[in-house]
Amino acid sequence: MTDLSVSVSSNGHLASQPLPEAPAKVTVRNLNFYYGEHHALKNINLTLGTNRVTAFIGPSGCGKSTLLRIFNRMYDLYPGQRATGQLMLDQTNILDPKLDLNLLRARVGMVFQKPTPFPMTIYENIAFGIRLYEKISKSEMDDRVEKALRGGALWNEVKDKLNASGLSLSGGQQQRLCIARTVAVRPEVILFDEPCSALDPISTAKVEELIQELSENYTIAIVTHNMQQAARVSDKTAFMYLGELIEFDDTSKIFTSPTDRRTQDYITGRFG
Amino acid sequence: MAVESNVVDAAGPYDRAKALSAFKLGDLTFYWITRLSAISVLLILGGIIISLIVGAFPAMKEYGLSFLWTQRWAPSADPPVLGALGPMYGTLVTSFIAMLIAIPVGLGIAIFLTELCPQWLRRPIGMAVELLAGIPSIIYGMWGFFVLGPFLANTFQPFMIKIFDGVPVLGAIFAGPPSYLSLFNAALILAIMVLPFITSISVDVFKTVPPVLKEAAYGVGCTTWEVVRSVVIPYTRVGIIGGVMLALGRALGETMAVTFIIGNSFRISSSIFAPGTTISAAIASEFAESDGLHQSGLILLGLLLFVLTFFVLAAARLMLLRLEQKAGK
Repeated sequence: MTDLSVSVSSNGHLASQPLPEAPAKVTVRNLNFYYGEHHALKNINLTLGTNRVTAFIGPSGCGKSTLLRIFNRMYDLYPGQRATGQLMLDQTNILDPKLDLNLLRARVGMVFQKPTPFPMTIYENIAFGIRLYEKISKSEMDDRVEKALRGGALWNEVKDKLNASGLSLSGGQQQRLCIARTVAVRPEVILFDEPCSALDPISTAKVEELIQELSENYTIAIVTHNMQQAARVSDKTAFMYLGELIEFDDTSKIFTSPTDRRTQDYITGRFG
Repeated sequence: MAVESNVVDAAGPYDRAKALSAFKLGDLTFYWITRLSAISVLLILGGIIISLIVGAFPAMKEYGLSFLWTQRWAPSADPPVLGALGPMYGTLVTSFIAMLIAIPVGLGIAIFLTELCPQWLRRPIGMAVELLAGIPSIIYGMWGFFVLGPFLANTFQPFMIKIFDGVPVLGAIFAGPPSYLSLFNAALILAIMVLPFITSISVDVFKTVPPVLKEAAYGVGCTTWEVVRSVVIPYTRVGIIGGVMLALGRALGETMAVTFIIGNSFRISSSIFAPGTTISAAIASEFAESDGLHQSGLILLGLLLFVLTFFVLAAARLMLLRLEQKAGK
């Protein structure tokens, strides 16, 4: 516990005063989710503040990734999965069956647990997503790709080999490529599903730094198993357990004086 | 400790060496059995090539390279005049048209089955495709002869002529008197025959695409078509090309069905609705009654098919290599 609080307070967010409440970007009301018969999420209520980082923590199987995959309707790819309740992105109802999913996913980008570069060159990995929505000239595209790669803190490492395969990069670079690819489409919300679980500590630090920078312009939701990471990068933290949202508050509050006993037990490592 | 060392002293070193030498013998036997199996492939292949060359030698000596560009095939003339141009043309054209039809349809079925098909429809379609592969080729030949041939000659060809009459190149391709036996008929049958190869191999390799990669593509806002075109197919292209090559090999060498419906004409016609022949069909229909130079000529045709297939496969390998370079691997 002492270790935790030291590493937390030395690192920006918690030491300073909590940020003022931000206007809601995503609003979740009475959300329930089912895998077939299995009731995976029970009555979730929370909001993601605009340009804030919200972390989701909790033991495996508690439903944090499931919740994240509802935000961009990824669950739609699989039959038998369904959500009920209300989920608003600004004024758009995300759960509306008539919603244009491609447009939704352009607004809500996602970075996965494992790096997922597409089987094409580094340049194409970025340009691919842009081309889906915009017709722009080669030189404009070059600019956009460079900007996205800079945004992903990867430009200096790859600027001489843009035509190499995305698969030739190291794991950490691939993950930053995926972040750059997500940013290139200019989303409003970025979802991170355990983005560092396959990365070494140095790459992890780079990605965390990147998430901090991105939060200036994007609303971010991040699922993580690493509590220090949640403490370092997030403004708000949600603790989930067995499909329920147990506690949702400022990160500093969750990590220093949680109200619920289970939250306390989890962040001090007594279960999970 | 003391007990252990006693045991080792009593029975250890000697017995262990003996036991190991028994393993050694087993290893050696295993090594040689597998090695001989591998060598036997080379021996069989070499044997076939040598016997083809020996059998074809008289014809090679008689006709030389002109065998390749002579169209006339008159085995009963004295001396016989033999040229491979007709069968080579027929083989390449029928296989080309067959692949032109089978590749898009086969890939289409595979994409539908893996990406779009509702669960309950998946098994019936999958099984139908596999059954297609199980039909003996002579049945395809009969069906082509009695059903497809009349339909093509009476309905399809007049329709195509009506559309393309007077158009420079296409007009000539579809022109000519209706015939039940034609290159196009054979090509269609070949397309149906190789379809299962392309489909089942493509389905298998499509299933190897990690779901998270597809999710990532959907995650940047791709439609199913964009995911398939930009992620699934590039990710699996080696496997797909492998399947296509297998299918092409089958199309080039398929004998029975083609012999039935191609018409056995050695004359090259610009129309794909005219009768023609392929190398394997020519060999199958004439080999039994041939002798002397005629037989040698047929064996030479077989050797040509062998070489042709080899070059096609080599070209495919080369294409694959260049694709990989382009993708920046």
